[in-house]
Amino acid sequence: MTTLLTVLLACYLLGGVLPLCTSRPSLQTILAHSGAAAAGVAGIALGLLGLFAAQPLTLSVPSNIPSLTFALRLDPLAAFFVLTISLVGLAASIYAYGYVREFTGRVSVGLLGSLLNGFLLSMTLVVLADNGFFFLILWEAMSLLSYVLVVTDHERPGVREAGLFYLIMTHVGTAFIILTFVIFSQEAGSFSFDDFRHPDQRLPEGLRSIAFFTALIGFGAKAGIVPLHVWLPYAHPAAPSHISALMSGVMIKTAVYALIRVYFDFLEGVFPWWWGFTVLSVGALSALLGVMYALMEHDLKSLLAFHSVENIGIILLGIGAGMIFHTYGLHELAALGLLAGLYHTINHATFKALLFLGAGAVQFATHTRDIEEYGGLLRRMPWTGLFFLIGAVSIAALPPTNGFVSEWLVFQSLFLSVQLPTLFLKLMLPIAAAILALTGALALACFAKAFGMSFLAQPRSAHARQAVEVPLSMRIGMGLLAGSCVVLGLAPMLIVPLLDRVTGPLTGVAISEKVLALDGWVVAPVTVEFSSISTPVLAALLVGGGLVGLLIARWLGKGLPVRYSRTWGCGLPLTPRMEYTATGFVQPIKQVFETIYQPTVKLEREFLEQSKYFIRHQRFEFHIEPIFETYMYRPVVTKLLAVAERLRVIQVGSLHLYLTYIFVTLVLLLLWAG
Amino acid sequence: MSESTHLGSQLVNLCSVLLLLSCFAVVAQRRLSACVDLFALQSFFLATTAALVAFLTGHRHIYLAAALTVVVKVIVLPRILRKVIERLNVSRELVMNINIPAGLLICGGLVVVAFFITQPIIPLGYLLTRDSLAIALAIILIGFFTMIARKKAVTQMVGFLVMENGVFLGTTAAAYGMPLIVELGVFFDVLVAGLIAGIYTHRLQDAFDSVDTSELTALKE
Repeated sequence: MTTLLTVLLACYLLGGVLPLCTSRPSLQTILAHSGAAAAGVAGIALGLLGLFAAQPLTLSVPSNIPSLTFALRLDPLAAFFVLTISLVGLAASIYAYGYVREFTGRVSVGLLGSLLNGFLLSMTLVVLADNGFFFLILWEAMSLLSYVLVVTDHERPGVREAGLFYLIMTHVGTAFIILTFVIFSQEAGSFSFDDFRHPDQRLPEGLRSIAFFTALIGFGAKAGIVPLHVWLPYAHPAAPSHISALMSGVMIKTAVYALIRVYFDFLEGVFPWWWGFTVLSVGALSALLGVMYALMEHDLKSLLAFHSVENIGIILLGIGAGMIFHTYGLHELAALGLLAGLYHTINHATFKALLFLGAGAVQFATHTRDIEEYGGLLRRMPWTGLFFLIGAVSIAALPPTNGFVSEWLVFQSLFLSVQLPTLFLKLMLPIAAAILALTGALALACFAKAFGMSFLAQPRSAHARQAVEVPLSMRIGMGLLAGSCVVLGLAPMLIVPLLDRVTGPLTGVAISEKVLALDGWVVAPVTVEFSSISTPVLAALLVGGGLVGLLIARWLGKGLPVRYSRTWGCGLPLTPRMEYTATGFVQPIKQVFETIYQPTVKLEREFLEQSKYFIRHQRFEFHIEPIFETYMYRPVVTKLLAVAERLRVIQVGSLHLYLTYIFVTLVLLLLWAG
Repeated sequence: MSESTHLGSQLVNLCSVLLLLSCFAVVAQRRLSACVDLFALQSFFLATTAALVAFLTGHRHIYLAAALTVVVKVIVLPRILRKVIERLNVSRELVMNINIPAGLLICGGLVVVAFFITQPIIPLGYLLTRDSLAIALAIILIGFFTMIARKKAVTQMVGFLVMENGVFLGTTAAAYGMPLIVELGVFFDVLVAGLIAGIYTHRLQDAFDSVDTSELTALKE
């Protein structure tokens, strides 16, 4: 394993350094992405080995700086995240071979590739770090590198603002994370994670609760939980697509990793019920609001970014349920909730990365991100369309895809709340399940829109008409993730034992035998009597049912006359102007949830002078109110600016005055000390 | 206390006082080139002090520091500064933030402050150079004051270098100098700072047609 780890680090480092040594863009591309891809393969192997290793692998290099050691530890939890990061990293770097061509000439491709390697490396090391200080350094490196990558295209309008917004949010988060670690180090006496795990004396109850909240806020800002999600819809679309895929697919998952690490490892899984309930509530809120805002987005990548908020919510629903069960000693259910959350983590990593890569491919071909300008892309880009469809079906959690399996497990763990002793939670968990159901339905509507409006019907703009299929490397990258989605969905018997290795040490029980009934062909939430499901059988039924239907149609229709004409044409020639638009598609949902969206609709019409029955010109405008930004962030920003304006008095820009400030301070301090 | 060390201590104090006096001369001098010359002279006194300390205490590495002082601060930096002055169209500083008589008075006050501050510390020391600590602090404060009082970038630069001289004297006085590696680093830093400030002064001249750093206020929006 040490060898693999060395190979992984070496590949990332080579991929980071070599591209900067040459100036030919084509060579830079190959060097950078080959390094990242090779490291990705090594990372997948390392993750798998780490999951099955009997003992966690630990490495430690001391340093001269107090309380900092370069300690790495590969336990099953870390191994699982290394696996996820490497899988998505591999796909993204293969995809990038073709994709970065889009940037040649505008930005340095070598630097972009080099930074990609650095970003992947920092994410991998974040989950491996075993020292608080080291973790923070890597966490910052990850945040800063992702910031630099977000502003790659800094000459496009809005990108720098998006980057700055992200930078501020992530640093607010880091401040809270530092606070968390400082609290732990108080009792542990050092910054080593090992001491965090087994402190000399347990933290007092109050401090533990504070650590719970600081961790939730700190890591939540990175994960994008509501109401700290505001940066996602700005930053993710601004970045190049393979970077968005990594940020949305895996970077925000490092926060999930850290939350599990803190709650189940450092706090040793001992917590009051309301912690789990808080996580559950935050998850439910994020899931629902994420998908609702996603529905109203017509920028394909912003839409996907909001879906990340939704899916982080679903993951937290699973983890929150697991925490609640853990409090009440229902260890098998706790393991189930956690397992469901982790399963959804890897699922979301694959399908969200796939969708972002798909969105990037569409943007590559059409040079726009506005869904309203797409249409009819399936004929022009069949492979991209197929992969995007697989991703869309998975994220909408239709059976038998991977999204369905994990969401189903989350549902089951929420329903199993009947075993909880308190009435309050017995009521609350099913409500969370109901919210999740609503979320699922809205997500389906959203992806019906995203796929339908982009790929079906006729092109609505010249961009879409001229689109052509993307290069092979981009298709391979997407295909890899699409394949992973299918495998993760159809073969839970392969995945659940892996996840069980992760949740086992955290909750104390192994449940893979109970979750997988009948040799793994059936998945059940611990008790088969409660409910069970089998995706392979479902898939077979769906395919079989379709085939049977087709055969019956053929058989019955034999001998009947056949007429070829346009579907839904009603005898008229169809034009793109007759199409349903994305805005029109979501109009009913907007009406229903008017309270949350607070939409502003503007319709201006200009009539012909002769008659008011003929419209010369019509303009329709509508936008929704981002309530968190308007009511939560804007007042804070206004206050901050007002204070800054006051403080400006001492900032007159005179060098001499600044020197005088320093001088007076120095003399006064000397006099005071003397 | 033996006679030789007593004499040595007197000599060190004498050199320190010469350093301080040259500081006052810098404050009182309007001509830019004379300021630079005075700085070179001060650095020479500093090197003498350091060599004296090295001789009296037998700490060899202080000789090296003294030699470096001669090279960097007596020869190289004044040369850079003179070049800068040659290329500028000013040789005198007519307008100052604080005029010369007031400046001298303030500097006198600063010396008093420095002695007042170091009064409780000096008896704790046991080195023969301990009395120089007060003078070193006074030089630092005066150097800083020069940077505030003057408007031209060149004299501000001289003020900065005077401060650096004060720091050097202070370390020699308090601890017979810093470890050699730190000393070398500091010399390098000062040299680089001198070069950068020289370039920056040219830029200032090009941009504002003057080396008055008050003009920098225009950079504020």
